Amino acid sequence: MDIDEIRELVRLMVDNDLAELDVTDGESKIRLRRGSGGEVVAVPTAANAPPPAAAVAAEAAEPVADLIEVRSPIVGTFYAAADPESEPYVSVGSAVGADSVVCIIEAMKVMNEIKAEQAGEIVDICVKNAQPVEYGQVLFRLRVS
Amino acid sequence: MFSRILIANRGEIALRIIRACRELGIETVAVYSEADRDSSYLHMADDRICIGPPPSAESYLNIPRIIAAAELTDVQAIHPGYGFLAENAHFAEICRSCKIEFIGPSVESMRALGDKIEAKRLARAARAPVAPDSDGAVASVEDAAAAADRIGYPIAIKAAAGGGGRGIRFVHNEATLRTSFRQARQEAEIAFGDGRLYLEKAFDNFRHIEVQILGDMRGHVVHLYERECSLQRRRQKVIEETPACNLEPDLREEICLSAVRLAKEVGYYNAGTVEFMLDESNRNFYFLEVNTRIQVEHPITEMVTGEDLIKWQLRLGSGEPLELRQQEITQRGHAIECRINAEDPANGFRPSAGRIEAFIAPGGLGVRWDSHIYQGYEVPPTYDSLLGKLIVHARTRPEAIAIMRRALEEFLIHPTKTTAGLCREILNHQAFLEGRCDTTFIEREILDS
Repeated sequence: MDIDEIRELVRLMVDNDLAELDVTDGESKIRLRRGSGGEVVAVPTAANAPPPAAAVAAEAAEPVADLIEVRSPIVGTFYAAADPESEPYVSVGSAVGADSVVCIIEAMKVMNEIKAEQAGEIVDICVKNAQPVEYGQVLFRLRVS
Repeated sequence: MFSRILIANRGEIALRIIRACRELGIETVAVYSEADRDSSYLHMADDRICIGPPPSAESYLNIPRIIAAAELTDVQAIHPGYGFLAENAHFAEICRSCKIEFIGPSVESMRALGDKIEAKRLARAARAPVAPDSDGAVASVEDAAAAADRIGYPIAIKAAAGGGGRGIRFVHNEATLRTSFRQARQEAEIAFGDGRLYLEKAFDNFRHIEVQILGDMRGHVVHLYERECSLQRRRQKVIEETPACNLEPDLREEICLSAVRLAKEVGYYNAGTVEFMLDESNRNFYFLEVNTRIQVEHPITEMVTGEDLIKWQLRLGSGEPLELRQQEITQRGHAIECRINAEDPANGFRPSAGRIEAFIAPGGLGVRWDSHIYQGYEVPPTYDSLLGKLIVHARTRPEAIAIMRRALEEFLIHPTKTTAGLCREILNHQAFLEGRCDTTFIEREILDS
């Protein structure tokens, strides 16, 4: 949801004298509430899975044209590195190939190597080390090269 | 008692289990596929995890994903509901080996009763009447012909690994036996991965009477009386009721007690249902199979006995004793359930998926609506078509019928096509009012006319 869309929603509220408006668009949700003084207050509600605070804004925004989301293909625990002693597989700015391992997702004691699937540059890491992830959860954002 | 459990199911039964858990103070984790992302019952669960895309094989039937979700959320047990993995002994075994309790019976009894040949052997040992059969698996067409001659046509060719009305072929004479046998074997191999077949005497029409049982891990078993489930279409139940009509108290007692004997014979615990065929002409009844899970139609038993079966499953699953004595359990009044499916009876029962634009649930005294649907809900095309169960309870059968008729009239759903109209027709039919229905009734009286 971008600022122009939000402006449009505000106009809609004022024109129709609405006190509260709830909008869901895919994974992003926004609630707008008009205060008693006629001002409009934006209250973004979190998506289903609680993401780390720093990444909330990124989570709610729609992916830009050349950015793709790398999503978890299974249910498990996200690990950024092969083991606690190693460096993480990727960091922001890392260049990856389609077959590059970007992280491990552990499920039922099996360490599954997750591949990038597309070549590009990591622009965002959306989950924390040792965080539980569900099927379809966004792990990374990648700028396709 | 458990403090947190995972529900490995969806739709109305997931909601049913969540409700029981909330009342008992048990935290719930609901798993869901992408097709069920917008289900409102997910918000009633304490936690929810997406485990896969819409296809069942990649979500509700996917053991690794379900176990992974269970381990992530640190649950103590999994309730499998009905369908999906509820009768999968392998899944129950994996759960328990991962130190997660499976809310259901032991793996051994699931395996034994899941094999229909073994189940019949156990029924015989428990002195439950069984229909004449081939006495074990039939290996060749020649053996089949010999067994069929001994039993007498018509016969049913049944898959040992089948159940729930699947893997059954009826043969009326020797001419069709060869082909039917070969086809049945092939189908069984493909559907169940087990081509073993046995032959059993078939009945052209019979009443389907089933008995609800509960057992604890110390061997104490009780029955909660019977349910009549004769109103079926293609061996899927449409309307169920309890008590069964025109059933003499002695016969009812005999049927229920034989179910208890069988449960004890196999060391059964938690909830289960023993199904029988009742031959109206001579009042003989025969063991059909045991469903080692909670049934769709469990609410009608709850209404007449006052017992919450899901809560019992949770208590028994956590090892608590079954503190119910047989003498304490009574049937009060009469209960009927209509299954409302998203199917179009006017067009060959074609599934009617899509958005429910308008929906009003019926209410009033004696009406219970168990369902996950709501106005605006998108019915997914991927799963079975059950939208909800409409249950009524009243002092007498005529009163229950009157309430059900009124509730079905109030029931509004648009544009989704449902079987509500079919249920209405059945409830207005003379044979139904007189309690004279067998398993061929719907196809014979309602659909063919």
